[in-house]
Amino acid sequence: MQLDFQARELTVKLVYYGPALSGKTTNLQAIHRLLSPDGRGRLMTLETRDDRTLFFDLLPLTINTEMGLTVRIKLFTVPGQVIHNSTRKLVLQGADGVAFIADSQVNEVRANQASFKDLRRNLRENGIDPTTMPVVIQYNKRDLPNIRSEEEIKRMASMGRERTYLATATHGNGVMETFMGLLEAAWENLEQQHGLRQRFGLNAQMVTRDLRQRFSPVMEMPDHG
Amino acid sequence: MADTKPADIAYGEISHLEELIDRDSLREVCRSFFDLFGLSIRVFSARGVLLASVHEERSICRYVNSLSRGRVACSETVAHAQMLVPGGSGTVMHPCFTGAIYHIVPIMYDGRQLGRIILGPFLPSDVNEVPPSLIAIDPKLEHDRARLALAEMPRVREQTAQRIGAHLRGVLDLILFSGHKAQLTSAMHLATVRENYRELGEKNTRLQEAFDKLKELDRLKSNFLATVSHELRTPLTSIIGYSEMLEAGIAGDLSPEQAGFVETIRSKGELLLQLISSLLDLNKLERGQLAISPEYIDPRAVIVEVRETCLPEAEKRRIRVELSWHDDVPIVQADPVRLRQILINLTSNAIKFTADQGQVRLAVRTTELLAANDDDDVDEDPSLGAALMMSPERAVEFSVHDTGIGIPADEIDKIFDAFYQVDGSSTREYGGAGLGLSIAKSLVDAHHGTIRVESELGRGTTFFVVLPQTQPDAA
Repeated sequence: MQLDFQARELTVKLVYYGPALSGKTTNLQAIHRLLSPDGRGRLMTLETRDDRTLFFDLLPLTINTEMGLTVRIKLFTVPGQVIHNSTRKLVLQGADGVAFIADSQVNEVRANQASFKDLRRNLRENGIDPTTMPVVIQYNKRDLPNIRSEEEIKRMASMGRERTYLATATHGNGVMETFMGLLEAAWENLEQQHGLRQRFGLNAQMVTRDLRQRFSPVMEMPDHG
Repeated sequence: MADTKPADIAYGEISHLEELIDRDSLREVCRSFFDLFGLSIRVFSARGVLLASVHEERSICRYVNSLSRGRVACSETVAHAQMLVPGGSGTVMHPCFTGAIYHIVPIMYDGRQLGRIILGPFLPSDVNEVPPSLIAIDPKLEHDRARLALAEMPRVREQTAQRIGAHLRGVLDLILFSGHKAQLTSAMHLATVRENYRELGEKNTRLQEAFDKLKELDRLKSNFLATVSHELRTPLTSIIGYSEMLEAGIAGDLSPEQAGFVETIRSKGELLLQLISSLLDLNKLERGQLAISPEYIDPRAVIVEVRETCLPEAEKRRIRVELSWHDDVPIVQADPVRLRQILINLTSNAIKFTADQGQVRLAVRTTELLAANDDDDVDEDPSLGAALMMSPERAVEFSVHDTGIGIPADEIDKIFDAFYQVDGSSTREYGGAGLGLSIAKSLVDAHHGTIRVESELGRGTTFFVVLPQTQPDAA
């Protein structure tokens, strides 16, 4: 979190993490599409010729709260490919929350696990105890065959501490739920650490209410395939 | 870039307008707007730095400036317009006493105001008369002249001015976005390279520590080997000595069976002693403690001697051992004991791996050795820039050829490793500890020579030992 008293600005950084091709960029693209244009910045993607994320994607959102404080939310994705580990570690710096985008396909189980281990390792290397980082998990690509069942995911999720969401990011399904869940989880943590309510009279509802109002009522997006 | 702090990379924040925008390009954009709409344009950063300015002095401005009071009022108006910072994200209009107006358009990016565009002055389309504010500015003002000058001022409808402002703002936004993207990319690139460098540095340190530890272990191993070998050799010498005495009948006559047993004890003891000596040799070679004492020797005499030493073993299996040399073979410089050791090792190996009634040939000839002059890069592929880096040296080449089982191509590189045998099972079939070739190679290295092998599976193998004849000072 970054606080600029002079400009009355609060910047929150949220990072979308996960294995290669799990749909991190697609999540940001869907959020960009679903949000009404005011207060939504351009989606910046730094990608290679084959559409793979090279450094990161960045979607800035601005929320003017009733308390006169501007909340700026920076959504980042990391490059999923194994070789870009240094970039992942750098993008993770200063993150206030992480959405882990997992691939629901059965044969991607190991890739998900390897990426989550990578996340824990990179957090530790950045000097952050992974248990203190707000994390939500999204099981993406629910429209594909050979995926882990909903019941199985629920059973697994009940064992863990992270809120878990199901999504089909290409259709925009579950994307906003994941984002809101992440924002709330991050906010709870920031509230505990910085006492935002007491200092600025600011609470999560003020921010999420504004965002919810700006979401396009049609959550289901046409398939662009 | 210089001002980009790590926090800017972490949050992807844009820094200042003046760092993102190329002023010449901005001026070009403003110029094309000016050409298109005839409106003066000035672009200021949030810190008040003028980044681009394309304007033309209007007749009315020139006229007003020619009057002393008018000049003061004009500069006040312009200064005020330039200082005006639009509060929100909307356009602010700033009137001039001439009836003209300035449009001040904020440059917004990512919810922040990074600067402003000042469009104008221009006349709103509904101003037709010389306004009272202009008349009141200076008593010397001539009404008709002012009206004529005012008529030359560009007239723009309010709506059009808004559109022009919005369009320029859109163009700037695109430029800013591209600049921001490029800035983030390069900052990220740099940070990634730095991080990779740091990680590699850490890994190198860990590797170096592991390497140092291994080196220390290797030294301990060598010491241990030296001590153990020495301690083994002492009692073994006694065993062999007493066996010999028993064989010689010093302790009384032995029955043929007893003599046979004692002979076995002695011969196995000698074999063991040989093995221990090899280990000691290898150990000394590895530690660079084995001294080479070169002398001038006739290579032909050496191979004759080697043949004689190996002949009994060969004759047992009716293997022919032939010699060949050219008459021009010179006297060479080498350690006679070690050279014999190398060649005996290769020859007995050749005999060992050759089928009964086969053939082994020892040869010697003069040749040239191409030696790399670059001592610093011993690991470098010698074929790289050979024409520059090598120089021919006179040398003598010994070769040992057999008609044995041959060595598979993928094993050739490993045969000089200590304790290596091409086939694990061959150790049992052919005997030996797999130390001979490793020792031979170390001895050749100590002579600054080369050893190589050519082999065809099932057809035979030839080992070549080339010793240079202008020995470096170490020899």
